[in-house]
Amino acid sequence: MTGLDIAVTGLGLVTPGGVGVEAGWAAVRAGRSTAARDPLLAGHEVTISCRVPDFDADALLGARRAVRLDRFTRLALVAAREAVAGEDLRTWDSARVGVVIGTSAGGGETFERQHGVLLADGPTGVSPLVLPMHLPNMVAGQVAIEFGFRGPNLVVSTACASGATAIGVACDLLAARRCDVVLAGGVDALLNPLTMAGFARMGALSRRDDPATASRPFDVDRDGFVAGEGAAVLVLRRAEDARADGRRVRARVVGYGATADAHHITNPDPEGRAVVAATRAALADAGASASDVDHVNAHGTSTQLNDLVEGRVLAELLPSGPLVTSTKGVTGHLLGAAGAAEAVFTVLAVEQGVVPPTANLTTLDPRLDLDVATAVVPRGIDLALSNSFGFGGQNAVLAIAKA
Amino acid sequence: MYETLKKILVDTLKVAPEQITPDATKDDLDLDSLAFVELSMVLGKEHDLHISDDELFDMETVGDIVALMRERAGDRP
Repeated sequence: MTGLDIAVTGLGLVTPGGVGVEAGWAAVRAGRSTAARDPLLAGHEVTISCRVPDFDADALLGARRAVRLDRFTRLALVAAREAVAGEDLRTWDSARVGVVIGTSAGGGETFERQHGVLLADGPTGVSPLVLPMHLPNMVAGQVAIEFGFRGPNLVVSTACASGATAIGVACDLLAARRCDVVLAGGVDALLNPLTMAGFARMGALSRRDDPATASRPFDVDRDGFVAGEGAAVLVLRRAEDARADGRRVRARVVGYGATADAHHITNPDPEGRAVVAATRAALADAGASASDVDHVNAHGTSTQLNDLVEGRVLAELLPSGPLVTSTKGVTGHLLGAAGAAEAVFTVLAVEQGVVPPTANLTTLDPRLDLDVATAVVPRGIDLALSNSFGFGGQNAVLAIAKA
Repeated sequence: MYETLKKILVDTLKVAPEQITPDATKDDLDLDSLAFVELSMVLGKEHDLHISDDELFDMETVGDIVALMRERAGDRP
């Protein structure tokens, strides 16, 4: 046991529920899907997605700034600004502030658009900004530039576990005292034609006709995920420092487990052995046992394989029957942002004592013995888990406790 | 030429129009080397004015750039 104890003192969120924590949490609590027919995917095999609505980057960031940023960085900067909004940054020792952001592919929109320019106009038509806009590391670099943070600056990429992995890495940086504050989170904005065609060709996306009912985690009729975009950023500090400074602690990250399936490029290990190991590692950090878990924000993608394996692991490993939810029924799958956004939702669930519903869960897969929330359920939560798993078999489990 | 340059600065580089004057320097407008590559590309592609980014970067003010644009336009066969 390492006794991890990291305070969450700030939250920022941009999701298909809207810009801001309040909008995203309201959408999740309402339990209504944000999926819609996507005009930019006309002619594709799958034409639905969960986009962030009404995201006016020029108004939020200034046109001069926004024009040099890929959409993924725009989303992350807005989330980061919200996360630190209540802080007096002049009092921070900038050299001791780190930034760790997870993203699965960086600026895919820019990369794809500029590749089109290359094919049409040749190399001299390519923008000099293609690399500063699409390189995955630029998102953390831009957050550092925005606020002048000069501590460790990292981007991690573990596919759809990226956001959770980033939070885990940030906790490790704080526990090792390499930083005093870390902005940690995840982002992806990959609803571009190439990425979406790739997801569709591998059979990962739902092909249901009705967008609103397409993402249905743990339902017997699930047939794939709905891709979304978004960003989430958390301000993290050692809990002892936060308490000494009299800061408002929203919740605490008390455990982190990271493992690899070492099994297949897309399919989860059907035995879920590495997921079990990651969960046990997170619980060991927390000094908790499986019976202490009150709530799980599951990875719950709405794919056949993920939900079956994850559901079986949860049922076997946590026999006390914690109340499980998958917020992806509302938000869709935010890819590299998912783990961070769901950590934010878990913080809010713990803080407010409510478990949000799993949208579109009509009939639980009969192979799963789970207690899955289908409506807002008031419940005191002392300890919750937030699960995230990525293609390539990369797993991250966060344990989040009441402040 | 001044209006052509101003339109590129506003539309492509998103410089605030009120900042642009003949005496404004690249520092005044916060134009870095990448901005001059973009400017060179637009001038060449959309206005048939072939001026390298290095040549543009050597200019001190907006007025200097306009003068170079005029000179280069006059060079056309």
